[in-house]
Amino acid sequence: MTAIIKSTFIIVCIYFFQNCAPSRFIKPLEKKQQAASFSFGGPMIQFAGAPIPIPFTTLAYGYGLTNKVTGFGSLHTTSLLFGNLQSDIGTTLKLFEIENKFGLSASPALQIAYNIRNTTGFRVWPSADVNTYFHIMEKPSYIYAGANSWFEFSKYKAHNEIQQRHVIPNLHLGYMIVKPKWQHQFELSYLGLGIPNKPGVVDYIGISGKGTLGFYYCLIRKF
Amino acid sequence: MRFTLLILLSIFISSCLKLDSNLYNNTNKIKDYQLDDYTGEQDFILDASYAIPTAFINMLSLSSQASGETSATAIKAIYIGDPLKIITDTIILYCHGNKGHMDFYWQRAKLLAHVNGKNRYGVLMMDYRGYGLSEGKPTEEGMYADVDACMKWLKEKGVTNTRLIIYGFSLGTASATELTANPRTLTPSKIILEAPFGSAAVMVQDASQLNMPADYFTNLKIDNAEEIKKVTQPFLWIHGTNDNFLNYKTHGQIVYNNYSGSYKEKFLVDGADHSEVPAKMGFTTYLSVLGNFIRKN
Repeated sequence: MTAIIKSTFIIVCIYFFQNCAPSRFIKPLEKKQQAASFSFGGPMIQFAGAPIPIPFTTLAYGYGLTNKVTGFGSLHTTSLLFGNLQSDIGTTLKLFEIENKFGLSASPALQIAYNIRNTTGFRVWPSADVNTYFHIMEKPSYIYAGANSWFEFSKYKAHNEIQQRHVIPNLHLGYMIVKPKWQHQFELSYLGLGIPNKPGVVDYIGISGKGTLGFYYCLIRKF
Repeated sequence: MRFTLLILLSIFISSCLKLDSNLYNNTNKIKDYQLDDYTGEQDFILDASYAIPTAFINMLSLSSQASGETSATAIKAIYIGDPLKIITDTIILYCHGNKGHMDFYWQRAKLLAHVNGKNRYGVLMMDYRGYGLSEGKPTEEGMYADVDACMKWLKEKGVTNTRLIIYGFSLGTASATELTANPRTLTPSKIILEAPFGSAAVMVQDASQLNMPADYFTNLKIDNAEEIKKVTQPFLWIHGTNDNFLNYKTHGQIVYNNYSGSYKEKFLVDGADHSEVPAKMGFTTYLSVLGNFIRKN
């Protein structure tokens, strides 16, 4: 019975374990360069006996403020379908780079969500990404790895219960295929590092009952 | 400009969508009620010693109308017991969970018909609108109206507040709590909640780990954790400690803690998952716990 109930709650659980999109702008854009992206994917769940990623979709836009700083914003289109205006707004900062070999970047952002239907649910969560990337044989494409976290600053949650968890850590590993205009980003994430995924209403595919794996694809067009 | 219009249009369209209908698991439609002959998935199957005499199985068609509705909805119910003795019997009104229809819950209803002895108490169970052979589509207010329709039937048969006990399981705990906290036709004298929801907010926050509003996902107002504060009648909470759907600590415990009425009792079933409470407890223990609670106070 439980499994059947769970399947009915999958749409409801669309935000769970949070990450609705892959890491944004691992490498900052060049100054005044623009990029638009469409991403697809999310946490992996068991659905009707098969593992699938929850199909989040996101549109994003980035602009190179300097050669080391890119500003970005996004619209989470799947969430929008269900009445929630969700966006993340942030910057990607180049911290260190050896040209075409290795680099380090950070992306502080604000995750903003607003309920359109009821107009009562405005929430903001800070988040931060740190990524390191490696060009293989000095080619434009690169692999990257990093960590990300959302932060919950509320002291209390529903019914005045204490909010126990304030950091939701995630790890990710990805590969960026870089073409002159287009980029293809593939990312595997481990969401909710160390957080038990039971009891819960969704059959997340985690590791030893903790967290959940996530898979994402992102198509990026630079112009 | 075109992009802005697209965004505005998207917001307008999306604001019309709701998730609520996805919450109700009433998709398993049937052509008739088979009860003991039902071969579909069930939580457990009782042996022959729990058989109910055919004369005590009464199929009912009731009329249910929620406030604001212009017409009534026909719902199906089953009364286990002798209708002619309702005027003096104690009745357990059973509000089932979110699975399909009464065939699935028939074994549970039969079990309740053995509390303090075979057919000692009458048991009334209904399919909410949209479930089983009940007409209509499920809604939260409709669900409450359907349970109240059962209370109206019971009242017509002579049941009084003092002889009515309401029992909710899982989704059914919403109706049981709502109609005890905010009585309509009858006021149950005792309330039993098995594996209750805390609230929609608890469910969302358990899974997201964040302080996220429930209304991001649903317009449902189910909030047992708050409604139980209005309940003064004796309260029994039963929950499995291994409930992988509704965590007994975050859902059930808060309901139990928020109750401040005349008497409360809890029975945590070690290792039981959401649907396993009667079987893991053992039917004899289960009946004993319920029987003792009903006899008390």
